[in-house]
Amino acid sequence: MRSPRNRWLYLLSTLLIMLASPAWASDYPARPITLIVPYGAGGTTDISARQLARLAEPLLGQPVVIENRPGGGGVNAMRTVSRAAPDGYTLIATTSSPSFVAPALRDTGYDTLKDFTPILNYPGPWHGVLVNADSPYHTLTELLDAARDGSRLTYATAGALSGARLAFTQLGRDTDARLQHVPFDGAAGATAALLGHHVDIALVPAYRDLVKSDQLRLLAVLDDQPDPDFPEVPTLEQSGYDIQFPSIVALMVPHGVSAKRAETLRAAFSQAASSPEFAAVMKKLNQPVRLLPGDEVEAVIGKNLVAYHHLAETLKR
Amino acid sequence: MLLDAFHALLDVWVLIAALVGVAVGIVIGAIPGLGPTLAIALLIPVTFTMSPIPSLILLLGVYQGAIFGGSISAILLNVPGTPSSAATALDGHPMARQGRAGEALRIALYASVFGNIFSCLVLIVLAQPLASLALDFGPAQMAALMTFALIIIVLFGGGSILDAALMALIGVAAGIIGLDPIEGLPRFTFGSFAAEDGLALIPVLIGLFAMSEVLLQAFAGKQKTAPDTDIGPVSGSGTSNRPVGWLTLWKMRATLMVSSIIGTLVGILPGIGSTVPAFVSYNLARSRSRDPARFGKGEPEGVAAPEAANNAVTGGALVPMLSLGIPGDAVTAVILGAFMLQGLTPGPFLFQQHGVEVYAIFEALILLSIPCVVFGLAMFRGAVHIIKIRPRHLFPVIAILAIFGAYSVNNSLFDVAVMLGAGGIGFVLRRAGFPLPPLLIGLILGPPLEQSLRQALLTSAGSADIFLQSPIAMGLLAVTLLCVLGVIIRRYRHTHQGDAS
Repeated sequence: MRSPRNRWLYLLSTLLIMLASPAWASDYPARPITLIVPYGAGGTTDISARQLARLAEPLLGQPVVIENRPGGGGVNAMRTVSRAAPDGYTLIATTSSPSFVAPALRDTGYDTLKDFTPILNYPGPWHGVLVNADSPYHTLTELLDAARDGSRLTYATAGALSGARLAFTQLGRDTDARLQHVPFDGAAGATAALLGHHVDIALVPAYRDLVKSDQLRLLAVLDDQPDPDFPEVPTLEQSGYDIQFPSIVALMVPHGVSAKRAETLRAAFSQAASSPEFAAVMKKLNQPVRLLPGDEVEAVIGKNLVAYHHLAETLKR
Repeated sequence: MLLDAFHALLDVWVLIAALVGVAVGIVIGAIPGLGPTLAIALLIPVTFTMSPIPSLILLLGVYQGAIFGGSISAILLNVPGTPSSAATALDGHPMARQGRAGEALRIALYASVFGNIFSCLVLIVLAQPLASLALDFGPAQMAALMTFALIIIVLFGGGSILDAALMALIGVAAGIIGLDPIEGLPRFTFGSFAAEDGLALIPVLIGLFAMSEVLLQAFAGKQKTAPDTDIGPVSGSGTSNRPVGWLTLWKMRATLMVSSIIGTLVGILPGIGSTVPAFVSYNLARSRSRDPARFGKGEPEGVAAPEAANNAVTGGALVPMLSLGIPGDAVTAVILGAFMLQGLTPGPFLFQQHGVEVYAIFEALILLSIPCVVFGLAMFRGAVHIIKIRPRHLFPVIAILAIFGAYSVNNSLFDVAVMLGAGGIGFVLRRAGFPLPPLLIGLILGPPLEQSLRQALLTSAGSADIFLQSPIAMGLLAVTLLCVLGVIIRRYRHTHQGDAS
């Protein structure tokens, strides 16, 4: 015979068990996953992340909610995620600048290697060394020779904290070329400045059609591999300079997420990223699909973090 | 080509996309803090499976609807829904207070449509030649243009020039907070990471114009809120609303044309947005008016000028985006992504490869004016009743909307603090009788002015010759100088006559 008091106890304990169950149940994910995009809605990082999230949802069995946290060139979102609970329900789709360029230049409040576990790297647009089509320089060597012999050449980048800037500063130091950095607000502004002959060089992505329509000339790419659209154009390394700026878009979780959960995420997002639907969207966005597993992304980030720290130190001197 | 494109529009899905887009846009634009950028970004996944023409018309409909929608809350509540409608509130809200809300909304609607059609015609005829004009504006030319805009706002903003200059300088100084645009080093952030982005425009705007209004009402006491309750009954069907017909618009033709040209030209140049052309055309309309004193107190031309200008930006901003693949502002950057997803990569090949689609979109931009007018007029019937709500019921709602709008921009509480701070400062300044628009323009133009000035000097190795060698920069600086001289001479004559009599 149950007293009313017992009945309440029974109800309460059932409720407690229901509330507590996701915490110890193995059926991760049990609720929607948040994928933070450190840039505004509608940019290439955002569109590709939304597409990837849509494709990963059926594989994870839970919705993947995109949350845009623009600001500070991606640094603010990185800091937020580094402090999020490491339960596998918060991810970030980050890029080169907040993961290894900005932390090398100043205090950002997080350590990319210690505070994050990379899951997967999916795309990253190629960044080119571009000059105007009527420019006298046809190769990177010609350009650097000119900058050594008295001409002061200006180069536009997408912003003060862009990795391309650091790569080119290093190039200028290594070759004694007089290269003057002029940062713009985004790659679009830098491209426009080059098209309008306001600067001599631009280090920007998304150049394909402007090069193919003979408005701009591509002298080299800053990445570690040549651009498949322009296989004859060398990388900086192939041109004889030991400098690279690999552009990445990495999915990361805060450090401390259990290996099992990380593996669940890795499997789902890798499968989504290798799907033909994702490839089709990336092709339309004019971006490559270069999948790298988490440990390789970590190696790329680690290597560049050291390189950019070193570069930033020499810049300060 | 134009006819083929028109045939492509004769599709029921195009019609549905246009209607849905405009309706969503007007509603989202009317809510402070939710701009067209957010609305379009959220709708992009919806368009994945649609064919190119309807999906882009849906997004462009949202864009157009939102820019107009911003003026509804600006006029009725004095809370600009989008930054570009802040100028509309200057005369629109006083008109609404006088019971002429319906008239103000109609003028805003027709001026919007005029500006939009004008800039779309320019886009159709001149997209490619104008794109090269955008490229001629490098750092030096941009620095000269922004100096010109700042001086215009200070000189012709009405009221005391010294007050306006002081406000513009405060705005420019507030723009220094954040990361240095050239070196990327933090300035005046006091170690706060959240402050590194600087003061975001939308929270400042909402604070200055909406929150300060709430504070003004809260501190006004009984005697000041009394007139508001009188207004209630007048505004419904509008006894003091004057009918807005073709004649009204014909009388404003010069203002509409000048504002549309300013909006289109500024839209073509990257990075200025639609707020500055709205204020510049408002001030030019005032300076050209026979009776400038009426501006700010409910002058219909003061509503028409900014609305024509900020809608004309739409067509202008699409010029460099479509022909070069270079977006002029945040909204067009998002639309650029949508074009690419539909396989229409903006840039030099777009017109050759997808001519029919592109011209269909241009024609649709003009035809979108029809649902804009229909929905606009239908919504006004309901919307004008908002003005009847008693202030003590309305202002708490505005305060909540202000906090919500500030937070929703970046999902950041820092922005809410900025909004409240701007509200407090706006309250003090308004009580002291200082004009707020120059402060806003200073904040908008300060950072890009600094950036372009420093970029220009970096490219010229520190020599000021870069300004003298460019005819565009020289021309703009000369006009700026003439404006300053003109005002000084007029002042001198004025005081001289005063002495003689």
